[in-house]
Amino acid sequence: MSKKVITREEWEKKLNDVKIRKEDMNKLVMNFLVTEGYVDAAEKFRMESGTEPDIDLATITDRMAVKKAVQCGNVEDAIEKVNDLNPEILDTNPQLFFHLQQQRLIELIRNGKVEEALEFAQEELAPRGEENQSFLEELERTVALLAFEDVSNCPVGDLLDISQRLKTASEVNAAILTSQSHEKDPKLPSLLKMLLWAQNQLDEKAAYPRINDLATATLEDPAI
Amino acid sequence: MPTTTASAVCTTVGNNILLRLTSGERDVKLKALRELKNQIIGNRTKKLSFLKLGAVPAVAGILSDAVSAVDVADNDENDRIVKDIIVQSAAVLGSFACGFEAGVRAVLDAGADILIQRGCLVEEMPLLKSYMEVVDAGARSLKMIYQSKMAPKYDFLQEENMEFLLSLLNNESENVSGLGASIISHSCKTSLEQKLLFDAGVLKRLTSLLGGSLIQRDASLESIATIFKNNPEVVSQFVGPDTGRTLSCIIEIVKDRFARTRLLASLCLIVIRNASPCYLQDVGIKTKLINNLLELLDDPGRVGDEASFAFSSLIAEKEDMQKLAFEVNGVDKLYNHLQKGSLHPRRFEGILLALADMCSKLECCRSRCLSLQVLKLVVDALAHDSSDVRSAACMCLRSVSRSIKFIQNLSAGSFMNETIVIPLVRLLDDTSTAVQVAALGAISNIVVDFTTRRSTFIRLGGVKLLVQLSKSMDSTIRLNALRALRNLIFLAEDKCKEEIFMELTASLLASLICDPEPSVQEQALALVRNLVDGRINSVEYIFAEDGIILDAVGRQLRIASKAEIEIQGMYVLGNVATGKESHKEAVMDQLLLRAENKAQSCIIKFLQSNDSRLRTAAVWAVLNLTCSSSPGSSGRLVKLHDAGIVSHVKNMVNDPCLDVKLRVKTALEQFNSFDDSLASTSCLQFLTVRAVGELSHVVDPSSKEEESIANYFRFSMKKNKKKKSTRTVKFCFDVPADSL
Repeated sequence: MSKKVITREEWEKKLNDVKIRKEDMNKLVMNFLVTEGYVDAAEKFRMESGTEPDIDLATITDRMAVKKAVQCGNVEDAIEKVNDLNPEILDTNPQLFFHLQQQRLIELIRNGKVEEALEFAQEELAPRGEENQSFLEELERTVALLAFEDVSNCPVGDLLDISQRLKTASEVNAAILTSQSHEKDPKLPSLLKMLLWAQNQLDEKAAYPRINDLATATLEDPAI
Repeated sequence: MPTTTASAVCTTVGNNILLRLTSGERDVKLKALRELKNQIIGNRTKKLSFLKLGAVPAVAGILSDAVSAVDVADNDENDRIVKDIIVQSAAVLGSFACGFEAGVRAVLDAGADILIQRGCLVEEMPLLKSYMEVVDAGARSLKMIYQSKMAPKYDFLQEENMEFLLSLLNNESENVSGLGASIISHSCKTSLEQKLLFDAGVLKRLTSLLGGSLIQRDASLESIATIFKNNPEVVSQFVGPDTGRTLSCIIEIVKDRFARTRLLASLCLIVIRNASPCYLQDVGIKTKLINNLLELLDDPGRVGDEASFAFSSLIAEKEDMQKLAFEVNGVDKLYNHLQKGSLHPRRFEGILLALADMCSKLECCRSRCLSLQVLKLVVDALAHDSSDVRSAACMCLRSVSRSIKFIQNLSAGSFMNETIVIPLVRLLDDTSTAVQVAALGAISNIVVDFTTRRSTFIRLGGVKLLVQLSKSMDSTIRLNALRALRNLIFLAEDKCKEEIFMELTASLLASLICDPEPSVQEQALALVRNLVDGRINSVEYIFAEDGIILDAVGRQLRIASKAEIEIQGMYVLGNVATGKESHKEAVMDQLLLRAENKAQSCIIKFLQSNDSRLRTAAVWAVLNLTCSSSPGSSGRLVKLHDAGIVSHVKNMVNDPCLDVKLRVKTALEQFNSFDDSLASTSCLQFLTVRAVGELSHVVDPSSKEEESIANYFRFSMKKNKKKKSTRTVKFCFDVPADSL
C-alpha cells in the first residue's frame, strides 16, 4: 500500500498555519506546575506571565508538605497533616488510608524495628483487612516482608523501593486535589498522549516528519 | 501474636488519651484531642473502641465548655487555643459520625449536633475571617451527621430554621453551602416542605452553585432533584426565564467529565421530567439521557451501580422511552453487563430491574431477551443470597414471560419449564415477603400456557403453597396468590380444576370473596369466574356446600361500591347463567334479592353505570338468562320485566359503547323472539361465536398486544364448538402495579 509522502517543507508550512494562543500555553504550564505542586515556580510564573492559577497557591503549600512527608517516609506526619487539611479525606477514602498504613509498616520494617512492626501490623493493618476484604491480598504481601531475613531480596522486596513511596505520595496528592474540586491529573500528559495517538493513526496513511522524542520535540524526516 | 496484647495496648493508649482529655490545662487537652482525631479518622475499629470508652460524651463536654469560653470580640492567644479546641473537637465528633452508625447515635445522644450548630455556626462567627476554620470544621461535621440515615429531622416549617438554612446556602464557604444543600437533600421529604423551600427561593442560589466547584455542583444537583421529586405542583411553578437557564445549565452538566456529576445531573433531569409533562420531552434530550445512563453503567464503582436504577426511573411505564432505549441497543448493553458475573448485589439488582422495565411493554425487547438467553442468568439469580436480587429476578421474569414467544414456548425449549418453575416454587416459601410477592407475580404469568409449565407447577405442590398463601395475614400476599390461582385455573382441564378446588374449598373461596380488602375480593371473584367457565359441570362448583359461594357473590354485588368488583361479580353470574335451568333460576334469585334500603335490584344500578365495562357485563347476564333455547327463559323474562330491568335494557339501545350496543341489540332481538314465539336459532349462532377471552394488563386494556394474545386464546378455545351459550372468561395476565 503506497502511502502519501509529505516533505519537511510541506509539513512545516502546514504547522505554521496552525495558530495557538499564548494564553492557552501559559494556562497549560500553570496547570502543570500547580497540579504537580511546584509552588515557588507557580508563584514566579504567575508574576512573570500574569497567568492566574486555577487554585489557591496557599493550598498547594499544604498539599506539598503532605506529599513530601510521604516521600521521606514520615507517614505518621503525613497523616496528621492530611487530617489537619481536611479530616474527611481519609475518613471517606478507605483505600488511601490502607495504603498509608501499609507504607507505615514498610517504613518500620525498613528501619529494622521488627517488634514495633509486628505490633503495628496486628493493631492497625489487620483490622483494615477485616473491615474490607479487598485489602486482604495486599495485606498479606506486606506482612510477608516480616517473614524474610534478607528483605531487599525477597519476592515482595519491591515494596521497599522508593517507587512505592512515590506511588503512595501520588495517591495522597490526587485525593487532596479531588477534595479541593481540582482535577488530579495535569493536562499536559494528556496532550502528549493525544499527539502520539494521532501520529500512530497518521502512520497508516502517510510518511511525514515525526516527533519521536517528546523531550526535544524535534521533527525527524520521513524515511523514504 | 496473641490478640489480647494488642487490644490491651489499644485500651491503654485509649485510656491515656481520655485521661488527658479531662486535664485542666488547655494545651494538654488540645494535644489529646488531636491525637484522638488522628487515631480514629479512617479507622472504624478504633472508633468502636473509643466509643466504648465513652469518648463521645467527653469530647462533647469539651466542645460545650470551649464554646462558652469563646469571646468573639477578643482575638488573643488564649482565644487561639479555645478556637483550636473547638475545631479539633468538632472534627472528632464529625469523624465519629462518618459512615459509622453507632457513632452517629452516640453523637446525637450527646446532643453534639445542636452543640456544633450553636457553637460553630453562630451569626457573628462567619463574619470574622479568623473564625473561618471554626465555621468550616463545624459545617463539615454537621454534614457528616446529616448524611446519615439517623440524622435528626430538620424542621423546615420553623421560620428560624429556614432562615438558618438560607444563611448556610448563601455562605461563600464551600463547606457551609454544602451543609445547606446536604440538609435539603437528606431532610426534605414531604411535598409541603418542597413547596416551602421552593417558595423561599432556594432554587436561585442552588442554580448559581451549579457553576461553582465540583463539590458545590454535586451537592446542588442532589438538592434540586430533592425539591422537585414527585411534585408536579412545584415543577409547574418553575416557569419564567430562570427555568430555561437552570434547565440548560443542568443539561450541559450531563456531559461533565466526572461520572458522578453526570449521574446526578441525569437524575435531576429525570426527576423534573417525571413530575411534569411539559419539560424535557423532545427526542434529543430523551436520547441523550438514555445514552448517558447506558454509558455510566461502564463505571466500575458506586456510580455504575446506581446508573441502572436511574435508567429504570427514566423508562418505567413509558413506552416511548423504552422504544428509544431499544433502538440504541439498550437490551444488549444491559445483557453484556449481566454477563460479567460476580456482580455487586446492588448492581445485579439494578440491571435486572432495568431489564424488567425494558420488557414491561414491548415485545421487541422481550424477544431480544429471549434470543440472547437472558433467562438463563435470571433463573440463576433466583437463588441469589440477596433478597433484593431474588426479587428483581422475579420481576424480570414476570416482564419477559409476557412475551408471546414465551407463552408459545417457541424460543426456549423444554429446559425453560422445569428450570424456571422449580426455583420459583421455592421462593414461595422465602423469608422475605417482598420476594414472595414478586415470585407470585412471576408465577401468575408463567402458568399461562398450555404446555408443561402448568402441570410441572402443580406436580411440585404449587397449588398447596398458593392456597396457603391465600390465607396469609398480609393482604398483598393474599391478593397475589389469588391472582396466580386465577391464571392457573384459566382454561384448565377438569381434573386440574377439581384438584385446585379441593385444595381451596368452597368455604375459603366464600370468605375470600368477602375479604376485608376490596382488591382481594376482586381477585377472588375473578377466580370464581374462571372456575365456572368451561363445561357445564364447572358451574356446579359454585353450588358446593349449599351454595355459599354463590351467596357470597350475590352479597358482594349488593354491597360493593368498586366497579372492578361489580364487573367480576356480574361476569360470574353471567357465566353461571349459561348452565342448566336450576343454575339460571339461582342467578335470578340472587339478582332479584334486594339489598337493604334499596328499591331496586343492583343490576339496574349496573346498567346505568358510567363504566361501560360494567354495563357490558350486566347485559351479558341478562342475555344469558333470557336465552331463547332455554325453556324457562320466558318466565324469567317476565320476572325481569316486572323488576324494571327489561325497560332499562331497552333504553340502552343507543349506548355510546359499541360492545354494549351490540349486546343490547341481541338482547332486544331475544326479547322480541318470545313475542314471536319463534325459536331464534340464528340468534343462538350469533351468541356462541363470541367467547370473550379478556386480558387484564398493567396499563391500557385495549393495547394492541393484548388483542393479539387474546386472539391466540380465542382460537385455541374454538375447539369447544359445542358451547351453547356465551361464557365470558377473564384471566389476569399480570400484576397490576398498584398491588405491589
